[in-house]
Amino acid sequence: MSIVNLLGNWSDFRQQHPSDEHKHLEYKWAMSIDLDACTGCNACSVACYAENNLPVVGKEKFSHGHSHHWMRIERYWDNDGREFADQGAQFLPMLCQQCESAPCETVCPVGATNHTADGLNSQNYHRCVGSRYCNANCPYKVRYFNWYDYPTTENVWPEPMRQQLNPDATVRGKGVMEKCTFCLQRLRAAQSTARTEGRSVRDGEVQTACQQVCPTGAITFGNLVDPEAKVGKQWMQQQVELNKDKQAKDTAEHASKLRGYRVLEELRTYPSVMYLEQLRESAI
Amino acid sequence: MIENSFNRRDFMRVLGWGGATVALSGCGNTSVEDGKEFVTSYVEAADYVIPSIGTYFNTTCAQCDAGCGIMGRVREGRVLKLEGNPTSSINKGKTCGLGQAGVQAHYNPDRVREPLLRNGSKGETITWEKALELIKDKIGVGAGEVAFLTGGVSGHTKVLLKNYLDALGSGHHYAYEAVSPAIIRAANKKAYGVEMPRLRLDKAKVIVSFGADFLGAWVSPVHFAQQYARFRKNAKGERGVLVQIESKMTLTGANADRWLAVRPGTEGIFALGLINGLAAAGLSVPKDVLDLVRSYTISRVSKDTGVSTEHMDKLIALLRARSPSLVIAGSAAEGYAHGSQNAAAINLLNKVLGNVGKTVEPPSAISFPQITPTTGSRSALQALNDSMAQGKVKVLFSYGANPVFTAPITMKLKENMKKVPFKVAFAHYMDETAVEADLVLPLNSAMEDWSTSVPEYVAEGAQLNIQQPLMEKLYPGTLGMGDILLALLKQRRPDEYKGYEDFYSYLRGAMVSIKGTLGKASESDDTFWDGALSHGVVKLKDTPISLANKVFSGNLALPAPFAEDGGYPLHLIPAVSASLRDGRNANEPWLQESPDPLTTIVWDSWVEVHPKTAAKLGIVEGDIVEVASKSGAIKAQVYVFPGIHPDVISVPLGYGHEAMGRYAKGVGANVFRMLDPIFDKETGELAMHETRVKITKAGQRVIIVKDEGPAGGNQMGRKIAVRMSSEKANISKEV
Repeated sequence: MSIVNLLGNWSDFRQQHPSDEHKHLEYKWAMSIDLDACTGCNACSVACYAENNLPVVGKEKFSHGHSHHWMRIERYWDNDGREFADQGAQFLPMLCQQCESAPCETVCPVGATNHTADGLNSQNYHRCVGSRYCNANCPYKVRYFNWYDYPTTENVWPEPMRQQLNPDATVRGKGVMEKCTFCLQRLRAAQSTARTEGRSVRDGEVQTACQQVCPTGAITFGNLVDPEAKVGKQWMQQQVELNKDKQAKDTAEHASKLRGYRVLEELRTYPSVMYLEQLRESAI
Repeated sequence: MIENSFNRRDFMRVLGWGGATVALSGCGNTSVEDGKEFVTSYVEAADYVIPSIGTYFNTTCAQCDAGCGIMGRVREGRVLKLEGNPTSSINKGKTCGLGQAGVQAHYNPDRVREPLLRNGSKGETITWEKALELIKDKIGVGAGEVAFLTGGVSGHTKVLLKNYLDALGSGHHYAYEAVSPAIIRAANKKAYGVEMPRLRLDKAKVIVSFGADFLGAWVSPVHFAQQYARFRKNAKGERGVLVQIESKMTLTGANADRWLAVRPGTEGIFALGLINGLAAAGLSVPKDVLDLVRSYTISRVSKDTGVSTEHMDKLIALLRARSPSLVIAGSAAEGYAHGSQNAAAINLLNKVLGNVGKTVEPPSAISFPQITPTTGSRSALQALNDSMAQGKVKVLFSYGANPVFTAPITMKLKENMKKVPFKVAFAHYMDETAVEADLVLPLNSAMEDWSTSVPEYVAEGAQLNIQQPLMEKLYPGTLGMGDILLALLKQRRPDEYKGYEDFYSYLRGAMVSIKGTLGKASESDDTFWDGALSHGVVKLKDTPISLANKVFSGNLALPAPFAEDGGYPLHLIPAVSASLRDGRNANEPWLQESPDPLTTIVWDSWVEVHPKTAAKLGIVEGDIVEVASKSGAIKAQVYVFPGIHPDVISVPLGYGHEAMGRYAKGVGANVFRMLDPIFDKETGELAMHETRVKITKAGQRVIIVKDEGPAGGNQMGRKIAVRMSSEKANISKEV
């Protein structure tokens, strides 16, 4: 690759956040999470440990903030001084938002985290040098650093527990950053099968581990480019547009509100995860 | 449409597969059984084994008693991940976090691997032949009963167990579950004619749950969670309303539209107050019920329960306006000495609202009574304990229970066990009970074993769950419970059982023999059996039962609310968490590191205290306190929690193991031990919520290890987790 080629065809090398000029061609993986269906049960989080070889770090390292839960449930209360949390809690499954314009990508000194053509924020463990700039720059705090070499740390994967490790996903060593991949290993297997059969991945053909386990079906995942995909229909119905940092519906005056929103959208990260607001009955 | 450009990742993947094949061929579990390793070419691979391709096999989750169907992903002879089995009517392809951790029970490094015989304070390895011979000898000696303690049992394990006890003649079966809804079962039997009617959450427009944590740990949570999703958004796009009434917020309470904190023990009073209010609002209520509830006026009930009249009025109006509703009596209501009456009052409310037949449906009866579930109770352990204390028990078998860990200290169970000359524990771990045993027999994991089971709560029709091995045994020294029972039966009735080489052949024979009654007579034995295994569940012929119609059958007297106890001013609620339950899964590290949904705490016990109570006692988060009852005391860290009544503190169960394994031992404190011996008056069950406690600062303060950030659940004005009023949203138009 010559510098002339690089500069001359910059837009081909630089993945941009999507706009009308730069559309996703075949795939754009995206998610929606219905917070009115989410019960905060943590099944998604445990399923993620099982699928993606996440280390159990133990109490002491957890207290230092070294936990590795790519999918975590954040729990919020109404803080308006009432005696009881009498409208319950607000649960929010927080995972990498696979931002289209990811703050983590621009600060990586070695280009270890970058954007894939199918709209994932990928992490190249081999290239990562552990500067942790990406973690500092992530507004969602969903990047997890390997402070220790967990495969050789006592009681993380003692024999025979290491036999449970998923051979389709990596086991990360010391000094690299890791994060939710939207179950890349499942996506690539499905894409590969579809490619062999000369078609695109069908909606529902591939599920992320968190989506598959979710007892209430709160998580929808799919390809935004596919007009048949449920996730795309949800985004469209909720009038949440991927390449906007302010949604037109939020400024419109009509009373009936749509529930779709993206967390910290105003930071212009263009997240690929849409949440649907939790509901609470007003008659009680 | 498809780009045919060369895809680097695909290319790497192909290379990776080639590499993996070479690397994996030497390290599989192909011959763990005989302790040798062969390098076997995959040219001779077993059926379905394609290197790098996972194959799913259906089986049944054994992490709790709900009996969800699961499928295990098996690759190169190892089980890697569990998913829900879509053909099981209970969980329809879903699982919970506890179920996910099933692989960690299987691959656990602390499993018992060989039979151990006590020699002084140590265990000596012996062979299975010797172990079984020893049991035969010990049973033959002296007078006294042979006590078989189990958890809930069903299926062919139950059949063999019963046959074995029959063969012994002097055998007694004690089915014990430390946190079972035994009082609710008895109350349901009285109210509806069945112990566990089907609850149709999905058909209800309003659910009023009295402390039933159906989204967390109650009866069949994965099934209920799926129904809950349809209740929140049904086919017409309507949204149901959930009102939770309890003294300590459960996971279900955290999802309620309105969570009402009642004074502990006044759940029944609240229910009768609602009936009174509903009658006043025009609901037709039978005369005898009216007479019963006449004195339960809104103002009195509000005073007794601590719930405002405004919320009671709103709830009454809601129940009048939206029908059908569903009222559920859960563990919070049953936990008292008047637990049966509480549950009866709550069930009465359900009947008065006319929900029976609409949202409360009859379960199906199973045509094979010998395999129907025997559910456990706490009173069974009391009975066993009494027998042991009187020195009547000569041999004790313990399977699927850990009574030394879960029995309150006042029972003196450990001391009484010492009076039993020979104690046998069937164990996965060296847990507290196994440590006390004379003979420890290691069991196969659920992923290595054959078994069948019938869950107590089956969502549709009647079904038999099949558990089959997903991989070869990790250790040659373990054995399945079915095989052990069969071997024990061969000692007693050799002629009857000698034809069965192992439990597998017995099971297959038993299943094939009933294929005719399942309408599969035309299938060959092999087709039928293979079909059963590939589905993981067998639909049984079900006969519908009808529910009892009578609204009220007299005899309901609720005591006045608790009087203050100056010495022990607080009520202790031992919480059943979705992950740890009664503590049997505490050695699975994913569960220890999975934050409690409400407090986000990991790897330790905690004491939930209301902010007002904490302020009164001068306690802040992280203070180590001593929680003392009349029977015992524990120390744990305080978590100041807005979801608890000020008169109540709560500590989760399942922590505080003194044995079991590296992930469980020494983590937190065991709250089972300090429960007061107070029992439900009708059923004799230990009343789990009756214990009164006092708390005192122990002088130490720690930083709680939890997932919640320093803001403690405050969004600091950012739009992170957003909530809107349901009237504003139009979910019927949603995709």
